Amino acid sequence: MSPLMFSTLLLALGLGSTVTFSSSHWLLAWMGLEINSLAMVPLMARPHFPRAVEAATKYFLAQATAAAMILFAGMTNAWMTGQWTIEMMTHPLPLTLVTLALGLKIGLAPVHAWLPEVLQGVDLTTGLILSTWQKLAPLALLLQLPHGNSPLLIILALSSTLIGGWAGLNQTQLRKILAYSSIAHLGWMMVILQYAPSLTLLALLTYIVMTSSIFLLFKLNNTTNINALATSHTKIPVLTLFAPFILLSLGGLPPLTGFMPKWLILHELTMQGMGTLATITALTALLSLYFYLRLSYSMSLTMSPNNLLTSPLWRLRPHQPTLPLAISATSATMLLPLTPAAFLVR
Amino acid sequence: MLKVLIPTLMLAPTIWLSKPKWLWPTTLAHSFLIALISLTWLQNLSESSWASLSPIMATDSISTPLLVLSCWLLPLMILASQNHMAKDPSNFQRAYISLLTSLQFFLILAFGATELIMFYVMFEATLIPTLIIITRWGNQAERLNAGTYFLFYTLAGSLPLLIALLSLQGWTGTMSLLTLPFSDLAPLTPYTSMLWWAACLLAFLVKMPLYGVHLWLPKAHVEAPVAGSMVLAAVLLKLGGYGMMRIMIMLEPLTKQLCYPFIILAMWGIIMTGSICLRQTDLKSLIAYSSVSHMGLVAGGILIQTPWGFTGALILMIAHGLTSSALFCLANTNYERTHSRTMVLARGLQVILPLMAAWWFIASLANLALPPLPNLMGELTIITSLFNWSWWTLILTGAGTLITAGYSLSMFLTTQRGPLPPHILALEPSHTREHLLIALHLLPLLLLILKPELIWGWTA
Repeated sequence: MSPLMFSTLLLALGLGSTVTFSSSHWLLAWMGLEINSLAMVPLMARPHFPRAVEAATKYFLAQATAAAMILFAGMTNAWMTGQWTIEMMTHPLPLTLVTLALGLKIGLAPVHAWLPEVLQGVDLTTGLILSTWQKLAPLALLLQLPHGNSPLLIILALSSTLIGGWAGLNQTQLRKILAYSSIAHLGWMMVILQYAPSLTLLALLTYIVMTSSIFLLFKLNNTTNINALATSHTKIPVLTLFAPFILLSLGGLPPLTGFMPKWLILHELTMQGMGTLATITALTALLSLYFYLRLSYSMSLTMSPNNLLTSPLWRLRPHQPTLPLAISATSATMLLPLTPAAFLVR
Repeated sequence: MLKVLIPTLMLAPTIWLSKPKWLWPTTLAHSFLIALISLTWLQNLSESSWASLSPIMATDSISTPLLVLSCWLLPLMILASQNHMAKDPSNFQRAYISLLTSLQFFLILAFGATELIMFYVMFEATLIPTLIIITRWGNQAERLNAGTYFLFYTLAGSLPLLIALLSLQGWTGTMSLLTLPFSDLAPLTPYTSMLWWAACLLAFLVKMPLYGVHLWLPKAHVEAPVAGSMVLAAVLLKLGGYGMMRIMIMLEPLTKQLCYPFIILAMWGIIMTGSICLRQTDLKSLIAYSSVSHMGLVAGGILIQTPWGFTGALILMIAHGLTSSALFCLANTNYERTHSRTMVLARGLQVILPLMAAWWFIASLANLALPPLPNLMGELTIITSLFNWSWWTLILTGAGTLITAGYSLSMFLTTQRGPLPPHILALEPSHTREHLLIALHLLPLLLLILKPELIWGWTA
C-alpha cells in the first residue's frame, strides 16, 4: 500500500471517530461511524492474504449491519419524536435498537461472535487499533444515550463478562484470547454504564493502556500463539519477567492498575444496592483470570529448570520503537496508587 | 512505620546494585537490620491500644507480633534460599530476593493498615509474589497446578469479601479500624445479614485454611521452594487469622448464631488433618497438613470470640509460625541432600547429621506443644476457652492433641532414629548456615515463653 493511500486511510480512521465524538445529531454520528469502519476495512486487508481478506469481509458485514441498525434507529426516533438529538433518544424502541447495534459494533456478547474471528485474521498492529481506537466512537455514543434503568445493559454486561471469560478458556491463539479479554472488559464497562458513566470511561482508559502494552509486547516478541510464548525469554528477558504483571493486571489483581476500575465499579454497584450483581460480576472475572494466568505460565513462569550457562553473543535489535511499550507497560502495572479518590467519597 | 518501610524499600537498590558475590551477604545483613529495627514496635505493647499512629497505618497489640514475625522471616528466607539458588544466574537470584522483599513490604502494609480496604488490597497483593515464587522456582511440573489452586481458592473466597467490605462502607461511611467498632450497622434483613457474615469470613477461612477449603495449601507447600513454604506457613496463613480477629468486632451479634458449622468444621478438621498426617509419606505434605490442623484450632479460638480465645489464637499463630517455618527448613535440608521429600528414603539421619537431629527434636516437640513452649500456652488457652464454651469440644481437641503428638513423634522417629539405610551413606555434612537458620527460628520460640505478654494480644 502506498504511503499516500495509507495516510489517507489513517486520516479517515481518525476523522470518522472524531466526527462521531463531536456530533449530537444521529445522522452525523452514523456518518462518522461509517467513515471510520470503511477506512478500517482496507487497513485490515492490507497484508493481502486470504485470512486477512476474510477478516476484513467479516468486519465489514458486522459493521455494516450495525451501522444500518443505527441509522434505522435514528430514523425511527426522528419519526416518533421529531428530532435527531442523540441525548434525547428517550423512546424504548429506538433506544434498545441502538444499544444492541452499538453492542454489535464493539463486540458485546451475545453479538460478539465476529470479534475473535476478525481479530485472529489481522496482524497485531491492526488488532491493536481494532481493540482500542475502534471502541472509542461507539462507546462515546453509548455514553451519551439516556439509559434509564435498563436491564438490557445488565444482560449485555453479564453475558459479556461470562462469555468473554468462558470462551477464552480453550483458546490457544493469542489474538483470540485478547479478543475474548476485550469482550470481558467491555462487559465491565457496560455493567456500570447506567449508574456512573465516568467509571465506564475510566475502565475504558485503563483497558486501553493494558491492552496496548500486551499487544505491543506480543508484537515485539512476534508471537501469535501460546506455544511461541515459551521461547520469549531468550528474545526479551527483562520484558518476559515483567509480562506476568501486565497479564495479571488485565486480570484485575491488586496491587496492579487493572484492579482500579474493577474496585471502583464494584464500589459503585454496591452503593447502588446491587451486591448480588457485583458479586456475580466479580466472580466471572475469575474466568478470564484463568487464561491470563495460563499465558503468564507459558511465557515466564515455566522456564526450563536447567539454565543455559552460555549467554547469547548477539541479539537482533528490535525493529519496533520500545518507548510506547515501556510507557504503557509501566502504567499498566503501577497506576493503582493514582486511583481518583473522588469516586470513593460520596 | 516508615522506619521499617523505607529500609524495606531500600532493599531494592541493595539487591540490584550489589555485586553478585556480595548479593546474599548484603541483603541478609540489610534485612536483619530491618528485623532488629522492627523489634522496637514491641516496646509499645504495655499500652493496650494503638501505637505508631499515622494517617493510614498503626500498630496495636494484635498486629505487632505478626508485624515483627514477618520482618523476622525475611532474613531467614534469604538464609534458607542461598543454597538452592546458588546455581541460578545472578539476575534470577536478584529477582527472587526482590519478590521476597516485596512480599515483606506488602505484609507490613497489610498488618499495619488501619483501613479495611487497604488491608484487603495488601492481602491480595501478597498473592502475586507468592504465586511467582511457587510457579517459577518450584521444582516439579505440578507446581503450575498448585499455583492455580492457590490463586483461585484465595480469590474466589476474597472477592465476596471485597463486596462485603464495600457494602460495610456504604452502611457506616467508614472503613477505619479505629472508628468501625463504635459505629453501628444499618438493620439488615436476616437473610442478607447471613450472606454478609459469610462473605466477610469466607476469605479468611480459605486463607487460614479451614478444613474443607484447605486443598490448595498442601499442594502449594509441597511445590513451593523453601522460602515460599516458610513464608506461607509462617505469615500468609496468619493473614487469615489476623483478618478474622479484625472483622469479628464488626460482626458482633451475628456470629453467635452463625458460627456453629464453622467451629464444628474447624474442630473436625483438627482430627481429620491430624489423621492424614499419621499416614503421610511426604515430609513437606505432612508439615503442611499439620499447619492445617493447628490453624483449625486457631479458627475455633477466634470464632468463639472470648478474650482467652483471641489470646490463645494469637499465641498459637506466632508459635506455629516459627515452628512450622523451622520444620520446613529442616525438611529442606533433607531435600537438598536426598532430592526427595519421601520420608522413607531419608531415615535414621541422626547417625550422620547429629546436630540436625537435635534441631529436629526441638522442632518436633514444639510442634506437639511440649511445655514450656509457647505452642503449649496457645493450645491450652484455646482448649480451655473452647471447653468453657462447650464441654463436648474437649473430645475433639483432646483427641487432636493426642494425634498431633503422635504424628510429630512419628515424623521425628522416621526421619532421625533407627538404622541408616545404605543408599544415603554419603551425605553432605550440615552447614553452619543451616544451623544458624534453625537456631534463629527456635531461639525466639524458646525465649518467648519468658515474656509471653509480647504475643498474647490485648489482655496485657
